[in-house]
Amino acid sequence: MTKKQSPVDFAKSFEELEKITQWFDSEEHLDLDKGLKQFERGLELASMLKEKLSEVENKVVEIKKRFED
Amino acid sequence: MEPVVLHVADYLALLNEVLHDRVPSNEILIEGEVSDYRVAQQKWVSFDLKDEKAEAVLKCFATVWQIGTPIEDGMRVHVKGFPKMYERFGTLKLNVQSIEPIGEGALKRAYDLLKKKLEVEGLFDVSRKRTLPRFPKKIGLITSRDAAAYGDFLRIVNNRWGGIEIDHAHVHVQGREAVPEILGAFRHFNALPLEERPDAIVLTRGGGGLEDLHAFNDEQVARAVYQSIIPVVVAVGHERDESLADYVADIRASTPSNAAERVVPSRADVKYEIDMMLTHNEQRLQFVMDEYRTAAEKIATRVGHILERERERLVMINARLHDRAERWLPLLRESVESSARMLRQVDPTRILARGYAIVRIGGEVVKDASLLAIGREVAIQLGAGAVDAEVLRVNGKGKQKLV
Repeated sequence: MTKKQSPVDFAKSFEELEKITQWFDSEEHLDLDKGLKQFERGLELASMLKEKLSEVENKVVEIKKRFED
Repeated sequence: MEPVVLHVADYLALLNEVLHDRVPSNEILIEGEVSDYRVAQQKWVSFDLKDEKAEAVLKCFATVWQIGTPIEDGMRVHVKGFPKMYERFGTLKLNVQSIEPIGEGALKRAYDLLKKKLEVEGLFDVSRKRTLPRFPKKIGLITSRDAAAYGDFLRIVNNRWGGIEIDHAHVHVQGREAVPEILGAFRHFNALPLEERPDAIVLTRGGGGLEDLHAFNDEQVARAVYQSIIPVVVAVGHERDESLADYVADIRASTPSNAAERVVPSRADVKYEIDMMLTHNEQRLQFVMDEYRTAAEKIATRVGHILERERERLVMINARLHDRAERWLPLLRESVESSARMLRQVDPTRILARGYAIVRIGGEVVKDASLLAIGREVAIQLGAGAVDAEVLRVNGKGKQKLV
């Protein structure tokens, strides 16, 4: 919330990459043009994901509330 | 002093008043062994609290709601309550406020009984266990900041993954405050609006005996884990330790470190996976391109073959033609020469040379004299040279001879 949110949604991008990989597997006869486009998108996603992977810090937020009944 | 006469009811009321005023019930825990434990109409609980040594018996009475933990005959317990004379039965009973098993043996039995009860109710059902999102953005951590578990969990999370938020709810993990605080933390996380809610709650602490783990074996805590709308990971102590919260949790981790491994993926694994996907895509694409290339090559080869075959056919035809011509030409020459000889024999010039003449009118050869008209011009071809003449007479008729 307070931390600057990275614009890349890791889960979504990863899922998209998985979909592309699935697409490459599912098509019996791939369209070369589409294949090239998909491949490029995959590269783009992978580089975004890897950049996100290089983030090393996690933020620990102490909840100020006291937990009692 | 005159004795006071009291009715039984009034006397018992007096006793009760004294018992209430003079016995510091709130400050006394009565220790004993449970026997003859009964539940009537699923509401009323009665049992005897015994002292093995002194052969003393205290009758106890409670409602099921006052008994937090399952109780069984033979358990050693601590009971807190008010003594009361029950008018109708003429007996003194302890009106129980709370009861707690003591000693490992009693705790273990209480644990087993509660475990059985929750199991029958379906709190441990595997079918209701939820999976965690693979890439969480926020994790709710319920533990004590003084516990080793806290440090272990954070260290492993930091080793494996980055860029997430961990909301820590500091609670006691044992002692009197533990249960209400843990319940409060669960309420806090579950009450957050959807966009602020963590993707998973991790409830963890180090290992310990049954007495240390009581909060994790508490029925209310087990139910809070069960009712949480956020998936829950519970991790207690070392591999061998188990708690009821463990069984209810969506994911049961063996240690605080293991809990960290279960909630966040490892950078190295994910990076490897991304690389594998890229390699795979590249191979597939390469495969497709190879397919196209092979197809193109095949077509080229086939066209080449056709051309080659056609060329060979041409060469063959040419050769055959040549061959044929070789055989035919002399014959042809022979036939031409014999024709020429024949033609030479019928050559009109040779006949003319012998003194014959050809008469023509307008290029047409004249064969019948009667067809000629007097005065007509005719062309006469001789063996050598030609003359033009006029027809004077035809078959003796025509112009008179001048001579």
